[in-house]
Amino acid sequence: MATKRSSVEEDSSSQDSKRVRMRKGADAEDEKFNPYLAHQYEEASNANGFSSPLDKLERHKTTAEQASKCEDSDLSPWTGQPHSQRYFGILQGRRNLPVQKQRQEFLDMYHRTQILVFVGETGSGKTTQIPQYVLYDELPHLDGKLIACTQPRRVAAMSVAQRVADELDVKLGEEVGYSIRFENKTGPKTLLKYMTDGQLLRESMHDHDMSRYSCIILDEAHERTLATDILMALLKQIASRRKDLKIIVMSATLDAQKFQTYFYNAPLLAVPGRTYPVEIFYTPEPERDYVEAAVRTVLQIHATEPEGDILLFLTGEEEIEDACRRISLEVDDMIRESDAGPMKVYPLYGTLPPAQQQRIFDKAPGPLRQGGRPGRKCVVATNIAETSLTIDGIVYVVDPGFSKQKIYNPRSRVESLLVSPISKASAQQRAGRAGRTRPGKCFRLYTEKAFKKELIEQTYPEILRSNLANTVLELKKLGVEDLVHFDLMDPPAPETMMRALEELNYLACLDDDGELTKLGSLASEFPLDPALAVMLISSPEFYCSNEILSITSLLSVPQIWVRPNNARKRADEMKMQFAHPDGDHLTLLNAYHAFKGAEQNGQDVKQWCHEHFLSFRHLSSADNVRAQLKRIMETHDIELMSTPFQDKDYYTNIRRALVSGFFMQVAMRESSNSKVYKTVKDDQLVMIHPSTVVQSPYDWVVYNEFVLTTKQYVRTVTNIKPEWLLEIAPIYYDIDTFEKGEIKSALTRITEKIRRRQAMKGGR
Amino acid sequence: MGLAAAKNKRKLGTDPNNTKWSRNTETFGQRMLRSQGWEPGQYLGVQGAEHAQWHTEANSTHIRVVLKDDQLGLGAKRNNGDECTGLDAFQMLLGRLNGKSEDALESERKAREDHKLNVYVERKLGTIRFVSGGFLVGDQVVDSPSGKKEVSQPSSATGSTVTSEEETEEAAPSKKRSKKRKTAEDSSDGEERKKAKKEKKDKKSKKSKKRKAEAEAEVDAEALSKEKKSKKRKTTDDSDEDASSAEQSSKEADIKESKAERKERREREKQEKQERKDKRRAEKAASKSATESGDDTSTEKKRRKGNSASMATSGTSTPVLSGSSTPTIMGSSRYLARQKFIAQKKLAFTDSTALNQVRSSPYPLVLYFGRLTLSDLHDQVIAGAIDCVRVSALLFVMIPNGPEFGRNHQQRYIIPQIRFISLKRGG
Repeated sequence: MATKRSSVEEDSSSQDSKRVRMRKGADAEDEKFNPYLAHQYEEASNANGFSSPLDKLERHKTTAEQASKCEDSDLSPWTGQPHSQRYFGILQGRRNLPVQKQRQEFLDMYHRTQILVFVGETGSGKTTQIPQYVLYDELPHLDGKLIACTQPRRVAAMSVAQRVADELDVKLGEEVGYSIRFENKTGPKTLLKYMTDGQLLRESMHDHDMSRYSCIILDEAHERTLATDILMALLKQIASRRKDLKIIVMSATLDAQKFQTYFYNAPLLAVPGRTYPVEIFYTPEPERDYVEAAVRTVLQIHATEPEGDILLFLTGEEEIEDACRRISLEVDDMIRESDAGPMKVYPLYGTLPPAQQQRIFDKAPGPLRQGGRPGRKCVVATNIAETSLTIDGIVYVVDPGFSKQKIYNPRSRVESLLVSPISKASAQQRAGRAGRTRPGKCFRLYTEKAFKKELIEQTYPEILRSNLANTVLELKKLGVEDLVHFDLMDPPAPETMMRALEELNYLACLDDDGELTKLGSLASEFPLDPALAVMLISSPEFYCSNEILSITSLLSVPQIWVRPNNARKRADEMKMQFAHPDGDHLTLLNAYHAFKGAEQNGQDVKQWCHEHFLSFRHLSSADNVRAQLKRIMETHDIELMSTPFQDKDYYTNIRRALVSGFFMQVAMRESSNSKVYKTVKDDQLVMIHPSTVVQSPYDWVVYNEFVLTTKQYVRTVTNIKPEWLLEIAPIYYDIDTFEKGEIKSALTRITEKIRRRQAMKGGR
Repeated sequence: MGLAAAKNKRKLGTDPNNTKWSRNTETFGQRMLRSQGWEPGQYLGVQGAEHAQWHTEANSTHIRVVLKDDQLGLGAKRNNGDECTGLDAFQMLLGRLNGKSEDALESERKAREDHKLNVYVERKLGTIRFVSGGFLVGDQVVDSPSGKKEVSQPSSATGSTVTSEEETEEAAPSKKRSKKRKTAEDSSDGEERKKAKKEKKDKKSKKSKKRKAEAEAEVDAEALSKEKKSKKRKTTDDSDEDASSAEQSSKEADIKESKAERKERREREKQEKQERKDKRRAEKAASKSATESGDDTSTEKKRRKGNSASMATSGTSTPVLSGSSTPTIMGSSRYLARQKFIAQKKLAFTDSTALNQVRSSPYPLVLYFGRLTLSDLHDQVIAGAIDCVRVSALLFVMIPNGPEFGRNHQQRYIIPQIRFISLKRGG
């Protein structure tokens, strides 16, 4: 790879044609091995032969001044087209960003070092500007290597790519593109690529050296998503192999010291954000009800504080919607009774449709009448609004001190979202949101003592809070053999790692020596949980891969059932229309088939969904996921088939296929008239979640998820036969490995039964 | 939680932590890790890495969290609402026993009373107060020059501090402060705000009136020492009322007002009825204990003196539901019942005949103090042990008092009441 690159550098841009030819040659041999690389060779960005001011620049020796000159020129240095009027308008704005002042400093440092830690608060412009600075220095059109910038969130990757495309005056998907799971908007001309961290990780499975890229920027590294953590460990390894690869780790908080130490004491560049002081208030006593207190605080701010928007942090969808309703009602009252200003209340959470998410950027309403009190907006958000998303105009922040966090317990194998106290770092981040436009105030609904004593310093990174089965599979695929000494910034608990290995072993993704099996390798191609992937891969054995594909897609999107508070009963009735007596998985499938049927009949699908209390958005996203998964299945020659619907085994086959992936999530009823089930091997007592359609209690069920509330529930269950367990997963259901108890004796009885039946058959 | 809590039964398996699995050294996972050189008790990751200084317990075992299924604020305790009444006086007693100076005790008492007043005002006005925690400059919390403490911050310090005039008034409750500040800034705006505030209050006028009615009822019955304070409260109420009625120009509001008044009247009547009933009951109790009285008269005088002192203290300890500034919903039946019950208790205190009877009781009250471990008393009351009834007429009032009986609230209140009595002996 290195030799080719140097040759490319030699002939520079004057001999474009030659370069292109060379590429083509390389193409032919490489493509087979590495489909992900194919893209690179086809690239011929500057081949259209216009003279660009960039031609004068020398790679890794540019200065801020040169780059500015290029940006100021009338013709776009990247496309050769004249710049639009809008471009110069945006450029003016960009020049005022805090990072701009340190462009030269950044370039100097960038030239000096391989790994750079960059700290800039949100609003400093780092996410949009730094990749462009790198672009003007790296000059990727010369050697065809891309610049990648990772984002933890899909929405961020898309919107930032769009923004940067506008800033460079190019079309999104050409010079600047993005790539997220299930969607790739890049082209042969792409130089700068925004992508989710998970996407870069997936790419690196096929390209262990990340040889497509000359510079990788990890943005929002402080969020410490699972993928970012793994990417950091990988890049640390790759950096020593590939000295030409540059790495920039961008963080929004000042805990950068940890990043520096981790990356061999990499140099740090800090850009001050544009922030104003924020006055912090605590309550003198703890609050009895934080939602109530939050609502009251918002109203009080509205009544007594000068103009400025309010940001309230709450934990989940339901809580947020409830608070929004209460605030709106109270404000209406307030307006009726006095001349309080108007207030618009917007919810903001992950599963909100994008159009509604966009509404938080609307301007605050004006005063009701001439000279009246100014209006304001109030955004009630989850911790999405904590770091990545900047809402202009926020002056007041209300922070109850909680957020919903994922927690994984390797002992009971339960991953759940639980409301727990935030960290001090998070609390400071939240407060900082108030100081974006002018000095602000942050109202914390807890005491200073609680802040000091009850909050942890830093939020735990995701890697410590997740089930690692998928991660371990990815690591194996990435060629990481030694999982024990893999250099993660925060190594996970050994028990979590053990559980992951164990699960993969039972799923036959790892053999008994810990090597990746063929099945495991195939499973890692799917952006799915290993259990789901394995179920999907083995579904042709049960003649129902079409159906399992649908179920898998439906299980990978949020709940498709809509159950509004004011129409619960009707929603439940509608759900019962789709109900299959054997379980929720089959009910999901029925609903999906009905949805597709309505679509084919040419009905108004949105209306249909609304009438049937189904989420159109989630169903169509499941449809989208299905198409993507189908493509992956086709490329790996996994046959798509169905049992004829008239066949009496149609549903049985599907249920059997479910067992092939979820045999580790099986629960047995404790006794014949009890509602309590016991999970197999882990012996946790659970109940079936009330949302189920299963009415007659079955003795054995397979479940999709374990839900922790005051009671332990299993959700999305389907009735199975214990015989299948012994037949489909004989290793997991090896009776000798079971502890003495009801489950063991039940299984023993069943083995006996099977033996007797076989003996009878043999005797006949 | 005691008997009063909502039932939250949950069946646990024999091994909810699944230690069976975690102790098993034969699992595939453990075998794999060991084969790659891991030893139990070690972190994963590179041994002796530089960044290992930041490893915490979360890197060695899974993160444990407490399942939160309520809306309790951060740092709030579950049974905050059932705080013992008058625990402060008990604290004073202990302070005296521990040889604290009168001055110190006095200042403590003052602080507590200030706090109580704050809580009262808060509940009345429905505000949420905040104490300043300094300024967040960049990523750093900086106190004003007059500020004392700095919020702990893990990262390296950046030098700049921001000063602000507003920050100087440190101790005052933030609510007050912000008001003050704003009036300084723009007095015209202040006017409007006041209006808005009043408006808010108006909405609650129904509620507050109800409360007022009760307060008035209390005033009627209560001793002189108490009267001063409640008068103050009343006057504030009245002024609020005046202001709000001046504000209300619309007819609609008037109608509402009269309705509220009617309701108030009804409420008061009810209250009076209740009072009469209580009085009768208290008298009955007193007469009962009187029959048993009649020996130790020498101590009686002393006790009487003390009792009046205790009455004064009890007067000040208005039932504060919680330290929380979230106003408690007065509409909840539980709180209503409780309020009634507290009012009755107070009545008993102020009922001189009943108290006289108690005072003449032959039993040294300290005895009971020792005896009244919470559950004991409860059991005894249930068993009908006479001692308990005899404890005093003070207790008597609440024992037969319907809904509260048999709950752990009751146990909580008993102790403070006893304490008042012991207090008088100590002082």
